[in-house]
Amino acid sequence: MSESLGAYLFISTALFCLGVYGLLSRRNLVAMLISLELILNSASLNFVAFNKFSLINKAAGQTFAVFVIALAAAEVTIGLSLILLFHRKRDSINVEDAGEMKG
Amino acid sequence: MTSDLFLLWTIQLAPLAAFLLLFVLPKGARRAAPVVGMVFAFAAAAASITLLFSHAGEHGGFVYEYKTLWLRVTEMALWPGVVMPEYVLSAGFLVDPLNLLMIAIVTTIAFFVQMFSYYYMAEDPSRPRYFAFLSFFSFAMTGLVLACNLLQTFLFWELVGLASYLLIGFWYEKPAAATAARKAFVLNRLADLGFYLGIVFLFFFVGTLDFTAFRPDALREAMGSGWAAAVGLLVFMGVMGKSAQFPFHVWLPDAMEGPTPVSALIHSATMVAAGVFLMARAFGLFAASEAALTAALVAGALTAITGALLATVQRDIKRILAYSTVSQLGLMVMAMGAGSPVAGMFHLSTHAFFKSLLFLTAGAFIHRFHSNDIWEIARAGGKKDKLAMAALTLGLLSLSGIPPLSGFFSKDLLLEALSERSGFFYWIGVAVSFLTAFYSFRLLFVLLFTKPGHAPHAAHAHAPSPFLSACRAVPLVSLALLSLLIGALGTSWGGSALLHWLGGHDAHLDPTIAGTTLVLASIAVVLAFFKFRDPAAAETRLEEEGGSWKRALQHKFYVDDAYEFLVKSVGLSFAAALNWIDKRVFNRLFVDRTSGAVLGLGKLLSRLQSGLLQDYLSLAVGVGIVILLFVLKGTP
Repeated sequence: MSESLGAYLFISTALFCLGVYGLLSRRNLVAMLISLELILNSASLNFVAFNKFSLINKAAGQTFAVFVIALAAAEVTIGLSLILLFHRKRDSINVEDAGEMKG
Repeated sequence: MTSDLFLLWTIQLAPLAAFLLLFVLPKGARRAAPVVGMVFAFAAAAASITLLFSHAGEHGGFVYEYKTLWLRVTEMALWPGVVMPEYVLSAGFLVDPLNLLMIAIVTTIAFFVQMFSYYYMAEDPSRPRYFAFLSFFSFAMTGLVLACNLLQTFLFWELVGLASYLLIGFWYEKPAAATAARKAFVLNRLADLGFYLGIVFLFFFVGTLDFTAFRPDALREAMGSGWAAAVGLLVFMGVMGKSAQFPFHVWLPDAMEGPTPVSALIHSATMVAAGVFLMARAFGLFAASEAALTAALVAGALTAITGALLATVQRDIKRILAYSTVSQLGLMVMAMGAGSPVAGMFHLSTHAFFKSLLFLTAGAFIHRFHSNDIWEIARAGGKKDKLAMAALTLGLLSLSGIPPLSGFFSKDLLLEALSERSGFFYWIGVAVSFLTAFYSFRLLFVLLFTKPGHAPHAAHAHAPSPFLSACRAVPLVSLALLSLLIGALGTSWGGSALLHWLGGHDAHLDPTIAGTTLVLASIAVVLAFFKFRDPAAAETRLEEEGGSWKRALQHKFYVDDAYEFLVKSVGLSFAAALNWIDKRVFNRLFVDRTSGAVLGLGKLLSRLQSGLLQDYLSLAVGVGIVILLFVLKGTP
């Protein structure tokens, strides 16, 4: 099995682009949150992949990946609770209904 | 000289202490207000007379300065191109014969006026305010006299202006008094603008404002003759305002709306003489340019003639005296312009005493008969008031220059100074003294020859307490004695003490001048006698006679009308034009355009704020990509 850094980076870039696309195109707030998760996971995948091929330190990348997972968990908690509140208030989870910032 | 300094501080601070004390006076002690004023005024007067006599033995123009450095600015701290390497301002007292004489006059008259005010204001409910203001005036006036430099003088100069404003408008519920106070204030500010500019230019060119530095040659050298003339004229503008010189004289007759003792103190003896005093004080400044002296001569002559002519047609006793003051001030300024500060100051001294005496007698009449009109006073039995009548006669004789009285000697010296300068102005002076005798005797004869009738106020019986009557009598008698005696100090019988004191030469009566004035005065008396032998007929004549000359006199030579025209037509249309420019040009062209541009830009940018989360995100991503491209391009 030929392992190369390029394959990992390709996957992570694809994940990142999917995430950004989802974030920009979906109007559903939960779907946007999921897209955000994709972006975060592409970043963790990058860390782990670089760690695997790094010759100096075998622990730093994994540590960062763990941090990112914890951060993602916290972010999801807050994000979901905000969406929940928004839903209670507006009876909708469509991002277009959250337009109070219009100048 | 520590005792000197102690006396100086007493003179300066006693009136201020009275002012402060009167302001914190508890309600229960309001009756004591006049006593507080009187006691502190007496302290100041006693201190200044002690000071005068402690220096009386010294001769030869001594000058003591008690001053401390206030401000020193060197070349380094100023913008480039200044003339002097160093600019120094000091603060302190100056003591020389001129100051000592003036301060003695001011504080003595202030004391007598405070005393008389006790009688005059006995029934006024706001007496503490009156005495507080009067003390405040004394404080400002002593500060003005004792100041050692021009800026310090200017500060106190403004304070006496303020005191004058407050006291003219003391009965502010009377619209006439409020208007008169405002008029005096505004006209004086206008004149003081010139004074202030003069000080600024003088300081710029000379670097000091100390009176001791004002020597004509040095000033001419430092400024050049053009600037010396400009500064002299500007400072003279301030003098014109304060000393009511033509065309600024219109405020003084209106100032008679204030209480009569105030007129005696401020508007005849001390404050209005401050301009003349300043000319003597800073004589070097005026002597540095021929133009300033000529301006003084011309302005003084115009003022003297205008005032004397207007005094001949007034019915109001205070207005007669006010116009007389205007004309006498004109004579003093003329003497200054003729280059003789000694003559001017001598006339100022005698005038201060006899004119405050005259105003106090006017106050005595007004308080008793409740009228300002000389015919009404006469009909109400004015001549039965023996004391006031005697004092009035004495004052009027002195004013018109009848020999044994002080006015004769000072007027003679003044005319002599004028005759040395120019024949034309000498004859103006002579004409003024003729008119002076005429209007003085007009006043006297109207009071004397009217048969007392049943005037409505005659029954008003005053039974004043002994203390009140003393407060009425003592100032009248003392001032009468003083105006009798002070003239002798300027004659050879008095050893020319006052003239030597001021640095003048021996007194000698010029027989031609004395003869001329005496003959003219007697003609004036005879003329007045035949015109006012029958006061009732004279009154109807005054009311009914027409003619353009009469109309001009009644309109006060149209000076007030000229001011009104200036303000209403010229001033207001100028203001309207400025208003138009402000609205159309500045507001519409600049202010409105600027705000419009900012508003438009804001509207443009606010389009970005769609309120949609994903729009913001796309913008962020787009900008992120652009930045990334730039970064990648920068690192090949």
